[in-house]
Amino acid sequence: MTAVTTYFSDVFKGLWTAMVGMSITLRYLFSKPVTEMYPDVKPKTPTRYRGIHVFEEEKCIGCYVCAKACPVDCIEIGVVRKGKEIKITKFDIDYQKCMFCDLCCEPCPAHCIHMGPEFEKASFTRRGTILQFATPKTLTEEEKKIEKIAKK
Amino acid sequence: MNELANFLPTVLSRSGLTVPSALIPVLAMFLCASIMAAFMGLSAAVLVWAERKLAGHFQCRLGPVYVGGKFGWLQSIADGIKLLLKEDIIPDQADRPLFRLAPYPVVIGVLLAFIAVPFSEKLMVTDFNIGVFFILAVLTVEVFGVILAGWASNNKWALLGAMRAAVQMVSYEIPMGLAILPVVVMAQSLSLKTIVAAQSGGALHWFVFQPPFFMAVSFLIFFIAGLASLKRAPFDLPEAESELTAGFHTEYSGMRFSFFFMAEYAGMLLVSAVASALYLGGWHGILPGQESVWWFLAKTGFLIFVMIWIRWTLPRLRIDQIVYVGWKVLTPFVLACVVGQSLWATLR
Amino acid sequence: MNSPGVTIDRDVKTDELVINMGPQHPSTHGVLRVILKTDGEICLDAQPEIGYLHRCAEKIAENLVYGQFVPYTDRMDYVSGMGCNLGYCLAVEQIAGIQAPLRAEYLRIIVTELNRIASHLLAFGTYGIDTGAITPFLYGFREREMILDLLEMLCGARLTYSYIRIGGVDGDVPPGFIDKLREFIDIFPGKIREYNKLLTFNHIFMKRTTGIGVLSPETAIAYGVTGPNLRGSGVRRDVRRDEPYSVYPKLEFDVPVGTTQHGGPLGDAWNRYYIRMKELEESTKILKQCVEQMPQGPIMAEKVGRVKPPAKTEGYMRSENARGELGFYVVSDGTMQPVRVKVRAPSFSNISVLPEIVRGQMLADVVAIIGSLDIVLGEIDR
Ligand code: SF4
Ligand code: SF4
Repeated sequence: MTAVTTYFSDVFKGLWTAMVGMSITLRYLFSKPVTEMYPDVKPKTPTRYRGIHVFEEEKCIGCYVCAKACPVDCIEIGVVRKGKEIKITKFDIDYQKCMFCDLCCEPCPAHCIHMGPEFEKASFTRRGTILQFATPKTLTEEEKKIEKIAKK
Repeated sequence: MNELANFLPTVLSRSGLTVPSALIPVLAMFLCASIMAAFMGLSAAVLVWAERKLAGHFQCRLGPVYVGGKFGWLQSIADGIKLLLKEDIIPDQADRPLFRLAPYPVVIGVLLAFIAVPFSEKLMVTDFNIGVFFILAVLTVEVFGVILAGWASNNKWALLGAMRAAVQMVSYEIPMGLAILPVVVMAQSLSLKTIVAAQSGGALHWFVFQPPFFMAVSFLIFFIAGLASLKRAPFDLPEAESELTAGFHTEYSGMRFSFFFMAEYAGMLLVSAVASALYLGGWHGILPGQESVWWFLAKTGFLIFVMIWIRWTLPRLRIDQIVYVGWKVLTPFVLACVVGQSLWATLR
Repeated sequence: MNSPGVTIDRDVKTDELVINMGPQHPSTHGVLRVILKTDGEICLDAQPEIGYLHRCAEKIAENLVYGQFVPYTDRMDYVSGMGCNLGYCLAVEQIAGIQAPLRAEYLRIIVTELNRIASHLLAFGTYGIDTGAITPFLYGFREREMILDLLEMLCGARLTYSYIRIGGVDGDVPPGFIDKLREFIDIFPGKIREYNKLLTFNHIFMKRTTGIGVLSPETAIAYGVTGPNLRGSGVRRDVRRDEPYSVYPKLEFDVPVGTTQHGGPLGDAWNRYYIRMKELEESTKILKQCVEQMPQGPIMAEKVGRVKPPAKTEGYMRSENARGELGFYVVSDGTMQPVRVKVRAPSFSNISVLPEIVRGQMLADVVAIIGSLDIVLGEIDR
């Protein structure tokens, strides 16, 4: 191509491809937006969604397996064990550290910790991001003595 | 404005005020100025909203939806209030007086240019006999503000932005000025009112649709150069946000930033208005005999829509490419148009 | 509209301007800091400065059992986490002598290819932004969203998947997944054509990106540049084809390389970008084959339990991630924790070539070149 044809084809192509692009954007101007109206309409999370944990306290046997499996050690468990009776006094997960990796849920022998659908647990304080899953219990003096709190 | 000056005494006497007759023109001037400023501010607000909304829909989003009901009507008002309430930060090492001064030329340039815009046969501040020329002249004042801002900020990115603005200006200003010539040749006048009046009688008499279509080409060139003068995509190099963070107004915040912002949007309105007056028949409707300010606003609105549309489609040029486009593409084409149109006018 | 490598008569000597670009800059793709030496708009030198995102990932690996390190690999190349998962798991499987079942291998390829598409879409979109077009970014994200939805369905997370585990994958496909995947495979080629029309072949875009940042094959190889950047220079090298792992030998796909037929020289920014667009098509092809070929069966190797590779074994496994050749070097001492994990991050080598290719380019091109290298800082700094 000579310089002249290159010049004119450049000018033409510049205008033409701009027009092609504009036709595409124009088409989308009239198409339906894909926005999710998040705070107004909550998105539906799929069943496998890995959100804030769901903990079934009555099933838990306080074996610390989940705490051990956790790569970032963010689960803190307190157990009072009296013979067959098991009382979970503490089951805290620190969501500043948690990376929602699902590693704690797999090895649980009692299948009592799962990843849940919840994802809105932001907090204004650091303390507030540590969620306590165990129902609060008042302990007797004797129980306090044998309570074991472990973090891995 | 003269009509207003004639009209004012009646209004004033009806409402029981007495004003010395010497003051009447001054009063009229003030009124005009404040109406224009208010119009500019308001249109900037509407345009910002429109741009955001359109950008949203171009991109399959929604744009603003919350403030002021369903369509986010009040979004730009809310933004304006936010900008007003913001702290006015002047960088420590900045050249303080220049830094403060810089936004004003930008706004004043655009505001002044509005004087000569003919919204309709009656509705214009004043009809200069050199209207077009005046608009082009005052528009360039804006660049001083931009360069000042970039220099005074004492920020390397801002400085680069300012230098780019200067480079850009020398390349678009000439085709922009020349693009007007075919119209002037055709209308035999530099007054915008006369130019628009020459296009009466339906869409076929608009200058864009006049054979041999030299004016259509020059319209395109005027529009492209206009985009460059407004620093809008694809010519938004002075503020290219992905390269220069925010270009010349990197260091500006709050009110001063909003001046730049407002000037840009008012400038959009101005360039579109001038283009529609020069080439698209101004206040004349599609059919012969239709005349109204709404036609003018509709055409302006359409051109603004195209500007927004272009911005949300095209990538940005590089600085050497802008110079190339300005000097090697637009200028030869526009010169050809000028020559062609003049020959056509003389031979006909 | 101007030929690259603008020659300027330097009879006026001006001061050099040292500009600090980043770590907070809109187009350094994260927290990269580049110290630019410019003469006006012409860039004389650029020194990338890294380390702002260093999180000691390799050291952390030494204190975790093998399986626990998988979530950390997500956070290296956070744009294509699946590829990192896969690379690490393959490396560990190699030294521990574990073989994942066939179905798991297919699932792995499906997710890594999906993730590659997602990653290239991000590269496409951000490259649009780097050159000033914002809309392609949103369009790219629209399709990326579909992929993320798919992956979310499969493994529950949208960015940090840790779906691929040592010995297999985390879960089998949920109902409806394959249908949605097929739907995506069907509509996606049309979208690619649209991207090409909107951005790739836009004349302004082509003029902006052809001929800048030319990376010769020799330089590329000398610096260890891999992935689309290397292929953009015309070197047909792809680990998926040259040293096939997983089920890649069973799949048919092309390895696109840079061309000169669209006007630019080999190895320029446009070619690097275009390779990614081509790879979108190839990945879609691979996905299609995988969906057809995927057998039934288990998704986890039996008796993986606690991974404990024999003592004094070490292994290096390379895999082709979205950004290039991702290598994991794992040394075992017979315990449950690795002694050393070394990551060969593709972005690290890719960014190191930056000073070579930005010299003499305009400032705006620096942005375009960084964008065309498509780096992820999480992977560079680890
Ligand atoms: S999800 Fe991962 S990081 Fe979070 S608690 Fe469970 S194991 Fe720990
Ligand atoms: S692994 Fe399961 S049973 Fe054991 S402590 Fe954790 S939640 Fe409780």
